[in-house]
Amino acid sequence: MSLTLDTAVSPMAAPPAEQGYWRSVFARLRRDPVAMIAGLILLAIVLMAIFAPWLAPQSPYSTSMLSRLQPIGSPGFPLGSDELGRDVLSRLIHGARLSLLIGVMPVINAFVIGSAIGIVAGFVGGRTNTVIMRVIDVFYAFPAVLLAIALAGALGAGLVNSLFSLTVVFIPPIARVAESVTTQVRNVDYIEAARASGARSLTIIRRHVLGNVLGPIFVYATSLISVSMILASGLSFLGLGARPPMPEWGLMLNTMRDAIYVNPWVTVLPGMMIFTVSICFNMLSDGLRSAMDVKL
Amino acid sequence: MVYKKIAAALRQARRAAAVTVSLTVLSMSAMADGQVLRIAMTASDIPLTTGQPDSGFEGYRFLGYTVYDALINWDLSSADEISGLTPGLAESWEVDEEDTRVWTFTLRQGVSFHDGSEWNADAAIWNLDKVYDEDSPQFDARQAGNVRGRIPAMDQYEKVDDHTIRFTTREPDAWFPYQLTFLLFSSPAQWEALGGDWDAFAREPSGTGPFRLTRLVPRERAVLEPNADYWDADRVPRIERIELIPMPESSTRTSALLSDQVDWIETPAPDAIPRMQSRGMTITSNPYPHTWPYQFSMLEGSPWRDINVRKAANLAVDREGLEALLGGLMVPAAGIVTPDHPWYGEPEFETRYDPEEAMRLLAESGYGPDNPVEIKVLISTSGSGQMQPLAMNEYIQQNLAEVGIALDFEVLDWESLFPNWRRGAEDPSSRGAHATNITFGWLDPFAAFYRFMHSSMAPPNGFNWGYMDDPEYDRLLDEARVTFDQEAQDAILAEFHTRMVDDAAWLWVAHDVGPRAMQPRVKGFVQAKNWFQDLTPVYIEE
Amino acid sequence: MSTYFLKRILYVVPITLAVSFFCFSLVHLSPGDPMDAVVSADAPREVVAMVERAYGFDRPLPEQFALWVSRALQGDLGLSAANGRAVTTEVFAALKNTLLLALAASLIGFTLGCTFGLLAGYWQGSLLDRLVTGFAVGGVSVPHYWLGMLLVIVFSVELNWLPSSGAGPGSSNDWAFEWAYLRHLILPAVTLSVIPMGVVTRTVRAMVAEILAHEFVEALRAKGLAEKRVFLHVVKNVAPTALAVMGLQLGYLLGGSILVETVFSWPGTGLLLNNAIFQRDLPILQGTILVLALFFVLLNLIVDLAQARLDPRIQRS
Repeated sequence: MSLTLDTAVSPMAAPPAEQGYWRSVFARLRRDPVAMIAGLILLAIVLMAIFAPWLAPQSPYSTSMLSRLQPIGSPGFPLGSDELGRDVLSRLIHGARLSLLIGVMPVINAFVIGSAIGIVAGFVGGRTNTVIMRVIDVFYAFPAVLLAIALAGALGAGLVNSLFSLTVVFIPPIARVAESVTTQVRNVDYIEAARASGARSLTIIRRHVLGNVLGPIFVYATSLISVSMILASGLSFLGLGARPPMPEWGLMLNTMRDAIYVNPWVTVLPGMMIFTVSICFNMLSDGLRSAMDVKL
Repeated sequence: MVYKKIAAALRQARRAAAVTVSLTVLSMSAMADGQVLRIAMTASDIPLTTGQPDSGFEGYRFLGYTVYDALINWDLSSADEISGLTPGLAESWEVDEEDTRVWTFTLRQGVSFHDGSEWNADAAIWNLDKVYDEDSPQFDARQAGNVRGRIPAMDQYEKVDDHTIRFTTREPDAWFPYQLTFLLFSSPAQWEALGGDWDAFAREPSGTGPFRLTRLVPRERAVLEPNADYWDADRVPRIERIELIPMPESSTRTSALLSDQVDWIETPAPDAIPRMQSRGMTITSNPYPHTWPYQFSMLEGSPWRDINVRKAANLAVDREGLEALLGGLMVPAAGIVTPDHPWYGEPEFETRYDPEEAMRLLAESGYGPDNPVEIKVLISTSGSGQMQPLAMNEYIQQNLAEVGIALDFEVLDWESLFPNWRRGAEDPSSRGAHATNITFGWLDPFAAFYRFMHSSMAPPNGFNWGYMDDPEYDRLLDEARVTFDQEAQDAILAEFHTRMVDDAAWLWVAHDVGPRAMQPRVKGFVQAKNWFQDLTPVYIEE
Repeated sequence: MSTYFLKRILYVVPITLAVSFFCFSLVHLSPGDPMDAVVSADAPREVVAMVERAYGFDRPLPEQFALWVSRALQGDLGLSAANGRAVTTEVFAALKNTLLLALAASLIGFTLGCTFGLLAGYWQGSLLDRLVTGFAVGGVSVPHYWLGMLLVIVFSVELNWLPSSGAGPGSSNDWAFEWAYLRHLILPAVTLSVIPMGVVTRTVRAMVAEILAHEFVEALRAKGLAEKRVFLHVVKNVAPTALAVMGLQLGYLLGGSILVETVFSWPGTGLLLNNAIFQRDLPILQGTILVLALFFVLLNLIVDLAQARLDPRIQRS
């Protein structure tokens, strides 16, 4: 997916929810070298985030006025130092925690909320469906970036506000996908049969619907993580997300921008990280999509 | 007169030449014609052009004192002397000896606005109504909001005759002339001619200043051209055209200067200065009335109530090291004003770097590296005049930690820190901090001392953020305020400042030097020791 | 057919209303005091109160909303809190510059995207295809504000070939299609173009591959039909979708240019919005978002209608 969230959703055939299905998905995924490499890189970055305190050579906060703006390869500063003399390598490693968190959390939140909204709308159908989907449509009148910035800008700078804004941005597209998948599944014979036999709606949703719709919604949601990473760090870059002195890639990009004439190549490193994570998520999501045979 | 004509003819010829040149070079770009000075300001928009500018002192610098005059102007001609006041649209003024609240101003004659209309007492009163009389047709809330807070003493005003006006202040106030430097005068005739519309006036303003504004593109550009008939012949601009461009980001300004998109930038990033110098750029700087302090809370429970802690902090900061950190672009501070200033006085306590003495003082109060004084300070990430707040604060944090003062920072953005100033240390938005780090200008005694140190200025009345309450301070300040003889007043202020330094009332760290960077072809600029600068002697060497 | 058109057009009305309501309420979520933008924080309280009256910020919220909507209908979006100028003038002056940037980026993105997409689709599975696909994934994954900085470092800082900021030697009002101005457009437009480039490449590649896989194309080829005819057939089928995707992308670029405009100080709506956020200039914030959103709604409408007209499959149904 791009920064655009245009869900040209063509409803898909719901995959059968069997044990063997997931096994075959993983088998196919393993044969996809691009997805595997992307997955491994992501795994490495996640491990780096988890073990940051042990991996980072220095504290991400310790400043040294005498060693400000060191270039790449300086003794003690393998990737240079920033405007306060902090070790850029250590800050990049620690930055993975916050950057991944603010990039991935909104999609997880939106996955939970958006799926719930979409599945209910799709399952209940009728007027309820229309009302819910029309409200969702209003959000489609805003390009994603604009919506995120409008919300974050109005609420004011801060991590919580930026998480909230991005969650709001991703709920509508996920809800739309969830709704269209559910609507399709609803009309499948065995669900009709379950209904006819008088089973409760919740039971039907849990037993028959969820297993069939969550897969496609999940694949779609993974494709949003890349956008979310870029937007979350973008908000920090604008000064609307993480606050100094937190190590976060977008914010690092912002604060080091003033040194673009002194230390240009150190300045671009945090962006490199955002790019790597973003492209890996995209490739993994593409691989997952073809492995699960989901058409979006 | 003859000289003026020749000069005008020469200018004409040069302009014609410039036109030919630019035609032959097929209008390569604005840089081709010589006498254009393009200045990158730090504001994010063109300051208000109707008379009373916004955007703080930068607004006054570029769109206040260029297009307009005050009754009393700043004398910005010297780089060595501390700038004083000089007659502007008033030739002279005096205070009534019977009732020292009454001031009589004799207006300058023979001055006209850019539109040709005459400057006189009616125009003066019309302008006062513009900001003080909400019922007058020309009342402008924006201009009023920009200036009224700067003239706290103003009470009444009246016309005496065509060239004399009279002010009455709320109470006797010897600092009233300083405050009047902020009141600028727009042309009533032009406002009438434009249908009484301040928005239209903003695009085609008319003042009495050395420059006329000839073009305004909001957010992008303001163009100034000389007012050849300026009343002070010595200050008729040499340059043919000034273009003012807002560029809030310092990296953008740096890049614009280095790629020759502008000729002059305000406050270059210190880190980029070596690169600019290596490309032949001129860097100008000069200390000006600016101070970078920690203003202490004197509330119950604040460690600063202990004079030993206050003195220790002042002795623990390595100001020379800080100066090196800033590439030499600061002057160590030893008080609110600089030691060469008449208000400095002769304090016994020397604000110097002496960590041993600092530790001794702290030990006297029972503190030490193992039992540090814990202090919380409000700081900002950036902000007008804040210099390099994060870098400087972290440096000070290291310095103070060495003697046994543990600083904890509450980092705010400038837009939050500044409003907190008036709310005070007790306000919840201060989050229990014991000091605030806000820089300020001290052009006059009110701005320098009174608003911080007089007990009547405690929140919400003024900027006595930390509730300083010292009867002796109050007495000296009150006395200075009603002492209309300049030397006597300076002596009282020196006594006050001496006492304050001996008290180590604040932590004084630095004075800014107002760096500017410009192309080597920009000549004639004399950087005054002031927030404001005179653009009239500047020219471009071809 | 015409029922579809009418329905689609009428649908815009409730959306517009909802968008307006959203824009108005948005800024009242905001914790900031609108007065912070109007007067300096060191202004005395009496001055604050005086200005508050003059701006109408002292009225109750429903009254402010009613006033705002009724004025907005007449094209009056209020006055900027930071500088007192009309919001409408400010927004449209900036919109002009953003449109220029977005159109330039679309043009670059569309041209490259179609070329790459066609090439990759034709030679599916080849090395070229893999390169192009990788490039396209890169295009949609790159944080464009970072790409902008990278281009500035290479072309402005190191090589000093192109300017890194602004819209030209004069103001944007003097914009002319001359080198002196165009050179300012190059870096931001290229930066912004990578997203539509990536999206268009992926769309076109997928469609071309799908069409070529059709049996009748095989049959046509088997019959010895000139490769040129096959190519024309492909283009004819791909063009409407590619154009529709591009049209939508243009809308996203208008909203998404804020980061790029900030990096390059391009005087468009993005920079306006960015400044408004930091100055807490709520009227400008409201106005800019409203205008951009409505523009986007309109663009969506046009794309939908045009697609219904152009796409033979929709026409047939």
